[in-house]
Amino acid sequence: MRSVRVWFKKTGTAIYISHLDMNRCFSRAVVRAKIPLWYTEGFNPKPYLNFLCPLPLGQEGINEPLDIRIEGEISNDEVKSALCAVMPQGIEINRVTDPVMKTAQITSAQYKINLVFGSEGTANEFCVSADEIIKSGRLTAEKRSKKGNKTVNLCEMIKAFAVKADGCHVLTETETATGSSSNLNPDLLLSALFEKIGLEPVSRNISRLCLLNENGTEFC
Amino acid sequence: MFPKQLENILLKVQKPGRYTGGELNSVIKDKEKVDIRFAFCFPDTYEIGMSHLGMKILYSLINEREDAWCERVFAPASDMEEQMRSLNVPLYALESGDAIKDFDFVAFTMMYELCYTNILNMLSLAGIPLHSSERDSLSPLVIGGGACACNIEPMAEFFDFVTLGDGEEVTNEVIDLYKIHKRKGSSKKDFLKEAAKIPGVYVPSLYDIEYNGDGTVKAIVPKDGAPEKVTKRTVKNLDTMFAPSSFVVPFVEVVHDRTTVETFRGCIRGCRFCQACFLYRPIREKSPEVVERQCRAIYESTGYDEISLCSLSTSDYTGLEKLLNSMLDWTIPEKVNVALPSLRADNFPEELMKKLASVRRSGLTFAPEAGTQRLRDVINKNITEREVLSTASLAFKGGWSAVKLYFMIGLPTETDEDIEGIANLAQAVVDEYYNNPDKPKGKGVNVSVSVATLVPKPFTPFQWEPMITPDETKEKQAKLLSYIRSRKISVSMHNSNTSFLEGVFSRGDRRLSRVIETAWKAGCKFDSWDDSLKFDVWMQCFEKCGVDPYFYTARKREYDEILPWDHMDYGVTKQFFIKENQKAHKGVTTPCCREKCAGCGAAAINGGECSEIRKSVV
Repeated sequence: MRSVRVWFKKTGTAIYISHLDMNRCFSRAVVRAKIPLWYTEGFNPKPYLNFLCPLPLGQEGINEPLDIRIEGEISNDEVKSALCAVMPQGIEINRVTDPVMKTAQITSAQYKINLVFGSEGTANEFCVSADEIIKSGRLTAEKRSKKGNKTVNLCEMIKAFAVKADGCHVLTETETATGSSSNLNPDLLLSALFEKIGLEPVSRNISRLCLLNENGTEFC
Repeated sequence: MFPKQLENILLKVQKPGRYTGGELNSVIKDKEKVDIRFAFCFPDTYEIGMSHLGMKILYSLINEREDAWCERVFAPASDMEEQMRSLNVPLYALESGDAIKDFDFVAFTMMYELCYTNILNMLSLAGIPLHSSERDSLSPLVIGGGACACNIEPMAEFFDFVTLGDGEEVTNEVIDLYKIHKRKGSSKKDFLKEAAKIPGVYVPSLYDIEYNGDGTVKAIVPKDGAPEKVTKRTVKNLDTMFAPSSFVVPFVEVVHDRTTVETFRGCIRGCRFCQACFLYRPIREKSPEVVERQCRAIYESTGYDEISLCSLSTSDYTGLEKLLNSMLDWTIPEKVNVALPSLRADNFPEELMKKLASVRRSGLTFAPEAGTQRLRDVINKNITEREVLSTASLAFKGGWSAVKLYFMIGLPTETDEDIEGIANLAQAVVDEYYNNPDKPKGKGVNVSVSVATLVPKPFTPFQWEPMITPDETKEKQAKLLSYIRSRKISVSMHNSNTSFLEGVFSRGDRRLSRVIETAWKAGCKFDSWDDSLKFDVWMQCFEKCGVDPYFYTARKREYDEILPWDHMDYGVTKQFFIKENQKAHKGVTTPCCREKCAGCGAAAINGGECSEIRKSVV
């Protein structure tokens, strides 16, 4: 038995698939691909799948990692081509590698966010205000957790933030804390900004570009 | 795909994956290259509809044609409907995202009567006029099929036509005929007149219904050359019949998320309350080799970890042992679970049970249906208490500790003793567990009792019987609960109001169309869901329309009364139903078809062929 790390892209209509559904989707895909799988032992044997950093509903992922356990002689490239042939629309396999880092090493993620506002004016206004707020170092929001809600300063979890307006569009590139010890979902960051500034876009697109470790090296 | 306007609201609704399309194995075609656009609509949510085998079969069947594109449509949940209405997005098909009002066919499958308001709601969301008479152009044709087609009278005003029986052949015949008429530019009226000549096609507008002073039907008068009786369609050979080689695999979890393959159609048992038994006769079996091949194909194209062998009574399938012995050879190593729904307690070999449990243990369900032997004889459920207990005992020995028992209340001739009998039988199963030396160690038993109310259905020996009222139902339910003594028994009961409405529409006539429309306008939809049923509103609508619902449920019909569905021919003869009804009241059973042909008459519409007749001759 060995683990392989499957890197995939989730775009288009696939962004509406929840994490739980992704799990089901991949457990069927690995069966269709006829990959020799290692099954969990117990009353209800299942293929072993571990999404290292589940993507929230509605967000795109450009290079998301998933570990699966396989048994028997099959190379990473063979796993990749077998999987490529059976994936549904919107989920593409980028690469299959040996796992190098551990899940716990994920500390942040890079995002590209595209907001579309009703007018150039509101786009500009949002852009200027958002920049000021993040630079001020204080943006509070209620964060839900198992222990109850608490108010946190989101800026402490933002590692980089750049924003520019382009017509009605506001393009944001940001790096936020990700992982089990500290985590900022860009959805929360955005809604806090919308509330504070008092402006809402007509549409939004959030794309996770990559996961990073402590040193800013891409997770692999 | 979905309409672009929905992009910004999909994250505001529950489970958006139901509305986006793009699932594995969904069929995308170039709309410029097809002549026929077919919207296959399921009048309930995605989770229910995507579990429906008939839809999967016809979806694949139509999409095999190069000239047609079949797409799926489901009823949006209330939150989604609200968004669609506020954004003026008409009901669309999941594959193309195109509005279905521009399609050639808008077809509904109807598995239960309580979906009728959903059909109206979907038509309205689509922007399609509800009444057949309001739709002048040839397309879209609003059509229907499924079990409810056997008495579609309550929905007669809304449908252009429905098809009776197996859809595998008639669907293509209808599409072929339509194609000719579309090219010719025929009127809808001309097309319907021709369509009525295809066996199995029922065009309600070609029949006039006359009523007697007491509200019963006086006459059913066909016009414009429509046949006096519409005969259901029957596919003769299930081995050569079309069967899908892949299923659309949903992303969101649906009710039955698995490979399903039919083993045979029809049922040899003849339980007198069961409509499916008589609607799908004669018995036609698929050979085990074909079933296995079809299972394998769907398993490989979907990756499902469960295969369900489906029929009305799986353990009656003569090829079952052969099939399982061959199939378990690959399903066990590949960790695929084989599920056998609709097993009977009396004829399942122990060996097979052990093998089946080797991957994943699924639930164990028995359907004694009635609490005493006397009443089981009345309904012709030829199963004894001893058989239930010995099979349960076997199961306990095999490691099961949970058993589900299905019963009905409101059966003809039922007394308090029969209600008490339900509690006694459940208790006997509990006792059987504790008296079993081989029971699973350290575990308690769990017997869940599910109690439905009998809804007398057309095309059953009970079609003349009165149905109990919601108040009587509640009374009997309370009585049953008072008889239950053990905490190991949990009881769930059908909503008495839901069953009542089902009873009204099952044996209803055309005068109910107005009630259904009125109720839908008053906000009734998803009536089969307990939390959305607005029973008071329904009762007000009956009153407003001057229709007495009890006329359809509480009344005992005479054998010579003209029934609203008498112009439908499902093979089994009325004489047979009368004979069975009489035997029921005498408590006399009829042996199953395999023991002795009961002469139901169904074979006649299949060229005299029935698997069981063939066997008894050999």
